[in-house]
Amino acid sequence: MEREISIVKLEPGVSQAIRSFLADKGIQQPIRIDLNFSGCCDSSLCLRADTVLETDLTLELDGLTFVINPETHQLVGEVTISYVDEMGRKGFVLTSSKPVSEWDGFGVSDIKI
Amino acid sequence: MEQYKLFINGKFVDAASGKTFESINPGTEAPIATVAQAGKADAEAAIAAARKAFDRGDWSGLTPSARIAKIQDFADQIAQQGLRLAATESMDSGQIIGLATFGPIQGVGLLRNLSLLAATKFPWEEEIPVSGNAFAPGREFIRREPIGVCVGIIPWNFPMTMAFWKIAPALIMGNTIVLKPASVTPLSALIIAEAAKAAGIPDGVLNVIPGPGGELGNILCTHPDVDKIAFTGSTEVGREIMRMASATVKKVTLELGGKSANIILDDADMDLAVEGAVFGTFFHQGQICESGTRVLVSSKIYDEFLGKMKKRAEAIRIGYQMDPTSHMGPLVSKQQLATVERYVKLGKEEGAELITGGKRVEVKGVKGGFYYAPTIFANVNNKMRIAQEEIFGPVVCVIKYDSDEEAVAIANDSIYGLGGGVFSSNTARAERLARGVRTGTMWINNYHIFADFCPFGGYKQSGVGRELGLAGLNEYTQVKRIHVSALADHKTNMSFQLLSDYKKVDGFGYNCPTAVIAGHGALISIYKAIADLGCRRALILTDPGVRKAGLAQLVKDSLVDFCVGIYDNVPSDPDLEAVDAATAVARELKADCIVSVGGGSVIDTAKGVCVTLKNGGKANDHLNFLVLTEPQTPHIAIPTTAGTGSEVTSIAVLTSKGAGRKLFIVDARIMPNVAILDPRFTMSLPKELTASTAMDAMTHAIEAVTSIMANQICDGLALHAIRLINENLPLVVADGRNEKARLTMQIAATMAGWAFTIAQVGLAHGMAHTIGTLHHVPHGAACGIVLPKVMRYNVDHAADKLVLVAQALGVNTAGMEERDAALAAADAVEALMKKVGHPMRLRDVGVPEENLAICAFHALADTADLFNARPVSDPNEVLQIYTQAY
Repeated sequence: MEREISIVKLEPGVSQAIRSFLADKGIQQPIRIDLNFSGCCDSSLCLRADTVLETDLTLELDGLTFVINPETHQLVGEVTISYVDEMGRKGFVLTSSKPVSEWDGFGVSDIKI
Repeated sequence: MEQYKLFINGKFVDAASGKTFESINPGTEAPIATVAQAGKADAEAAIAAARKAFDRGDWSGLTPSARIAKIQDFADQIAQQGLRLAATESMDSGQIIGLATFGPIQGVGLLRNLSLLAATKFPWEEEIPVSGNAFAPGREFIRREPIGVCVGIIPWNFPMTMAFWKIAPALIMGNTIVLKPASVTPLSALIIAEAAKAAGIPDGVLNVIPGPGGELGNILCTHPDVDKIAFTGSTEVGREIMRMASATVKKVTLELGGKSANIILDDADMDLAVEGAVFGTFFHQGQICESGTRVLVSSKIYDEFLGKMKKRAEAIRIGYQMDPTSHMGPLVSKQQLATVERYVKLGKEEGAELITGGKRVEVKGVKGGFYYAPTIFANVNNKMRIAQEEIFGPVVCVIKYDSDEEAVAIANDSIYGLGGGVFSSNTARAERLARGVRTGTMWINNYHIFADFCPFGGYKQSGVGRELGLAGLNEYTQVKRIHVSALADHKTNMSFQLLSDYKKVDGFGYNCPTAVIAGHGALISIYKAIADLGCRRALILTDPGVRKAGLAQLVKDSLVDFCVGIYDNVPSDPDLEAVDAATAVARELKADCIVSVGGGSVIDTAKGVCVTLKNGGKANDHLNFLVLTEPQTPHIAIPTTAGTGSEVTSIAVLTSKGAGRKLFIVDARIMPNVAILDPRFTMSLPKELTASTAMDAMTHAIEAVTSIMANQICDGLALHAIRLINENLPLVVADGRNEKARLTMQIAATMAGWAFTIAQVGLAHGMAHTIGTLHHVPHGAACGIVLPKVMRYNVDHAADKLVLVAQALGVNTAGMEERDAALAAADAVEALMKKVGHPMRLRDVGVPEENLAICAFHALADTADLFNARPVSDPNEVLQIYTQAY
């Protein structure tokens, strides 16, 4: 089942950065917005090149396909993705309308494969 | 509902913005307190207060023993707040009450233990008895000083314990701190602040500011007044903190994530291992960084173990955290619950087998709460995400392995390295595995065991630095080295002279403690000498020639019962292996004293043996300058040549095959204890050797006089030695049995040794070492051949000294220009050499002309060059000298 729903908002430059990343890696897969635990205490959001599952929520945006599982979407709400490349800080920054932790948007991440 | 405020500069205050937030009881989802929410202005105020407090010095300037009294008061106040702290912690974080009650007790213990450690065992000041810089004598010591303003950022799993882990070492070591507790569990840190205030900890020393990590982190980690950040939390945030801190180069310690392996060996006590695995993963709902969430089980016991672990996990009682019968309480938040559920779903998608759990739990009589059942996945491949990513909930992966090596490999197949365990009934086997796992802590037959004096921290992406113990205290200090020069005269300071045209070193120290016994039949004194040294087991070192001449036996007979053997295999130009071989014999014979009977090669070998025997290892371990701090194995030297002076010097010259050159042990502590100059031992020396060894002594004396390290004492010794050699060498060459002249030559060589061991030698020695190493030319002969050429090379840098040399050599310098008189010294040396039949050219001793350029480059790297009267840095100049000598 595929439903169009506002699951993600892209800041300027993000779609281009994602396309470049996927092209560099030679992959053409949807981008999953996922919960991620990077150790000791605080979970965060991350991006992952992944396949679409039947239960996923999906959204086509700027020629890219974004997916999220419904439980995660219910937990975090709409996710805003920005891209930074300044003073050694390079990568995607994810924030959500319902933050998953007090450190929302603090770290940066690549797209996990 | 209780209200909590920020703690800044000794006062509880509202946030500047007036904002507050609610803290939630995760067991009921009900709010339990409102808390002031710090923002940018509050963080800046807290940092300013901490900065001011540190700079004021009423905390940082206290002695450790003065601080301990205040810390003890602080600990007493914590004890008074114990019940409140435990109850609040349990309600705020979801810790079962049985666990939370330990928190204040452990906090009191930590404050008392670490402050006592800091006051009594921590090396605040340390002497460095040997600096490792032979050219700059002085007192060297280090002080450890507090770093300054520390920021502590702590997580929500153990809010009280983590607060103590950050506050205690920071304060005990004299720092001030701004603590940011996790926003979901802010309360216990603010109660600790109350205790600090009540204990009279000065204003600003401790500040506590709950608030959103993202916003506050940006300020706390970049503010120029912050000196150190100690963070416990996620690897993703820690990485960003490290990056932020790098802009102002703050000290950073990080305690981050983990995915630790708990290895169950096939010989483990099954019940103990099951309990260890269950406790290692489900303790505090699995919300612990070092949890053993990968249980690696031997395939031999896998099925049995899994069955028992499942049964044990299902017996865990989940309940409201304040209920004393509960084994497990709730997870900390709905976000954490969602994350755990996400990973459990993922595990199923990845093909792992869910054995038990994998679902939320409703607690009877409690409305709401974030409860989750203990969950076990079996048939997990270590590459799966559930085995690679930390889940931070009651979820464990059980992984099968076939061999100990495979278990270690799986354990190490992780980006983390924080904790880990081994369960086995064979401690030696368990310890072998523990050593192989790349992680910060390994428990054997136990898990989750912390102790105040034992360090904790991570390998790999699990963190930087350590907490607890001396290592943890060290992280809150910085090291200051203080050098107090022993040199008052700038003309004695070789470093300053790099920017000066004045190259001579004026000041000096003279310390030559060798007892010299000289005269007809002096050997007889050895019996008393060895008794005076307290030795009973002397090993005689010598070479085959000396032994064949009967001299070693002469010494053995004089030692009566105090000789355990004669080692006669010392080669000429000894290398490190020769020292090791002799040392092995000395060790085997349990020798307590070395008696060297021979020339420089034997005596230098003996010096190497004495050092190696005393300090262990191999000779190659001891090729150092001035590093020995205590007396070495006693050494009595009996020279059989009159040349090297080694019987009284602080140097041993040994060939290193690895370095491809002669290297040195240089230390006043390798000077022999006793030197016996008995002319009988040189009377059978052939003419050629008599002449060449004498030219070695002559070179010592002349280079000591012209050295940049020359001094009045050494000049006196050297000039008299030159005079004696000049007068007596022709006599002993003419008649080797001339006992009086032989004795005088021995004394002259010893005096020259005393001179150069302090004043050093120069380029002639550097060049001679090279020829000896590359072309096996006897050292004395090489010295003699190049010496006059080097004297002429030095003439414009040491003319006054060379004039004295000329006079000692019998040149009448009256009426001569200084330079001419100086040059006459070189002529006189050559005249003496001719007179005694000494070889005059390098070609005479087998040095090929085409190798002179290589020799020049080699010689340029010799340490002796440093002390030459004329600075030596141009290989072409050295080549010219070699060419002149060719």
